[in-house]
Amino acid sequence: MSTTRATPVTWPTRLLGGAALISLATTVVLGLGLPPTTEQGVYARFLAIHPQVAWCSYLAFGVTALASAAYLVRKDVRWDHLAGASAEVGVVFTALTLVTGSIWGRRTWGVWWAWDARMTFTALLLFLYLGYLALRRVAADPGTRARRSAVAGLLAVLVVPVDHYAVEWWRTLHQKSSFNLTPKEQLDGSYIAVMLLGFGAMTMAFAWLVVQRYRLERRRDEAGDAELEAAIAERRAEAVVAP
Amino acid sequence: MTSTRRVGVAIVVILAALGFLVFKGLGNATVFFRTADEAVHQKASLGTRRFRVEGVVVDGTVAQQGNAVRFDIANNGSTVHVVHQGDPPELFKPNIPVVLEGRWAGDHYASDRIMVKHTEDYRVENPDRVKDYPTSTTTP
Repeated sequence: MSTTRATPVTWPTRLLGGAALISLATTVVLGLGLPPTTEQGVYARFLAIHPQVAWCSYLAFGVTALASAAYLVRKDVRWDHLAGASAEVGVVFTALTLVTGSIWGRRTWGVWWAWDARMTFTALLLFLYLGYLALRRVAADPGTRARRSAVAGLLAVLVVPVDHYAVEWWRTLHQKSSFNLTPKEQLDGSYIAVMLLGFGAMTMAFAWLVVQRYRLERRRDEAGDAELEAAIAERRAEAVVAP
Repeated sequence: MTSTRRVGVAIVVILAALGFLVFKGLGNATVFFRTADEAVHQKASLGTRRFRVEGVVVDGTVAQQGNAVRFDIANNGSTVHVVHQGDPPELFKPNIPVVLEGRWAGDHYASDRIMVKHTEDYRVENPDRVKDYPTSTTTP
């Protein structure tokens, strides 16, 4: 349609990226300096990273669900792009949740993996959204594809609360949450500040990644339109030459 | 439209299959472990079947015996004598909850895997160490 670049990098995006980078680095430095706890010793320092990564995967799938609902209501393709971008970043964060959790578990539980409810559901979440991303690539006309994806995005998100409450509903090897909106009293004060900083930092990193992925999706869409117009122009030119 | 419907049906079938697998699997995961008292009460029905058991390691019962470690775990007033083959994990110590994998073998539970089940307790080590310091030095 137009030759202008869609969603150029704006200064708020740059600012967000810079803030994410600095706060993540600060979280790592402060996290590694946290005092050892009686139960887990130095391994409790994983609290500065692992819950934050897991939170971002939940957040990502929540954004995907909201954008999916918005697409079904407004039929604006930009909501579909946002849903896809957020799910892709969410899959990365879910994989990171499993990796960081596995390393932490090896040191503290003594095993890399156990099929308890929390871990089973997190693995399920990863495969569900890999399936969602695959569905987005199934060839169909753009409207059908987006509608299909939106329905899938709204269904898959139902697993998120089940995963979150798995440690409360069932017997798990995984410990219960130490942070449910407010920190629990068994959480040492020094940990609260670093955990909060980590939540902020990781959320900014997530937002920055989604913005970048969304821009890429918009550009791809625009390039697809330009390609189509070029092809049409080419055929028209052929028609003029041929009698 | 029919192709959309077909894909819709496929998605529903896939989700149903996933759901079935989850709840079938969760039959296992929901009883990820039996507590020590449950293991004692269900001893007859468990036979020599493999299961996981959870309890707190009783202080003063841990003893190395060749390649094995002997200790007791307790939960809700029941005690299970454990013989574990192999090395316990790094954070294994008395007074912490553990989940064991193994089976009943006569009067004891034969374990071959110990998982340390830590809680959501993140209290810093010895925050009162400074307060204790003078008392330990003033007494000769």
